[in-house]
Parts: sequence; C-alpha cells; structure tokens
Amino acid sequence: MILLLALAAGLLAGLVWARWRGSPYQTPELGYLWLVFVAFLPQFVVIYLPISRENFPVWLVPGCLLTSQVMLLGFAWLNRRILGMPVLICGVTLNLVVMASNSGFMPISPQTASRLVSEDRLLDIQPGNRIGAKDILLHPQDTRFEWLADRFLPPIWFPYQAAFSLGDILIALGVFWMLARPRSPLQFTNRGTQT
Amino acid sequence: MKNKLALLTLSAQKINRQHVQLIFVLVSLAMLVLGTGAPTDGGGVGR
Repeated sequence: MILLLALAAGLLAGLVWARWRGSPYQTPELGYLWLVFVAFLPQFVVIYLPISRENFPVWLVPGCLLTSQVMLLGFAWLNRRILGMPVLICGVTLNLVVMASNSGFMPISPQTASRLVSEDRLLDIQPGNRIGAKDILLHPQDTRFEWLADRFLPPIWFPYQAAFSLGDILIALGVFWMLARPRSPLQFTNRGTQT
Repeated sequence: MKNKLALLTLSAQKINRQHVQLIFVLVSLAMLVLGTGAPTDGGGVGR
C-alpha cells in the first residue's frame, strides 16, 4: 500500500509537470514487460490468491518469494537505463539480501510490530514465526542485516501505519522518480539512448 | 467528410493506444513494487 502511494504520487507529479510544461505526459519506455507478469505469478499464488494461499505448502513459500524477487530484479536490471530504475534496483537488492539472510522473509522486531498489531495478537506469535504476508518476527539480536529490516515507521498521526525498510524507501524513491520525470532532458542527447 | 472521419478514427486510435500503454506500464510497475517491496501493515497477522 505504501509503495503504491509512491507510485500514485509519482504519476501525479509527472502529470502536473507535463501540464506545466505544456507537453503530453510520456510514459517511461519499459521493455520486457511480460517478465513482470511471469515473475509476479509465484507471489500472487502464495500471497494474494486466497485458495492457494491457504493450501500452499509453507516450506515452499520462501523459495517462491525469493525466486519471484530475483526475476523482478532481472526485469529491473534489463531496464536499468530508465531514469529512477538504478535507485529501485538498489532497493530491491537490499530487500533481497535481508530476506535471503533471514529464512526468505523480511524480519520485523516485536517492538516495531507492536505498533501495528495489538499486544494480545502479538503474544500469540512466537519469534521465528511468520507475521503478515512476507514478514517474520525476529528479535534484533537474531536478525541478520538488522539495519535492512522493516524497522521504520511513519509518524503516529499518519493515517496508514506500516513498517518499512531502507530497501522499501529506495524502491519508493525509484518508482516516484521514474513516473515523475520519465524523460529527462539529458536523455535527448546522443549519449542518453535507451534500450 | 470521409477524410475527416478517417482523421477522427486515427486520432481516437492513437489516444486509446497511449492510454493502454500507460495503464500497462502502471500495472507492471505496481506489480514490480508490490513484488519487490516488503512493508508490513500487520494485515494477515496470525495466518
């Protein structure tokens, strides 16, 4: 949700910028779009589709998540010349590193999780177990690359509360940049050719 | 008249194609960020 807000904000900024310049909004020229759909499919099955989500073997979930993310990283790499994509690639890589190092899930500490769920519900979840779709509840001392984990929270007054990581921040910045300024003036020189 | 109709059809096709392209890119980017990001809002806790 929070990343979709960055996407929406980037699109809005891009539309306003194009209107201000008096030119039509130009979509980023992404290639290999089919790869996104193929790469997202494993996550769709294990996380978003209710029927398969309940019946999918638990031990296969981390592998599906990581495989999906590697393929999505591949798509991002193939489009690395798009403005904003290198920042997104950094974010994806950081998330991949911390998830691969912690049983295939994004670690979140009990202290951070306590801001998102009630204490009663949190007591039912033992450290080392899944919490949410892609997260695992872990004490900071048991977390590898703890500084890359879901450790950031929005201000308490923010209507939508979610924990996010440094990688999520870079992903949000990258996609915002991609949509807000899809065609930088520099790209119209001979050196700025896109694939 | 025929030329005007042809021009209008061509314009309509161009506009639709641009919109379709934008929607396609947005859906792809949405899947990209949903797939690579891992923020949690506590939803689905206890599953």
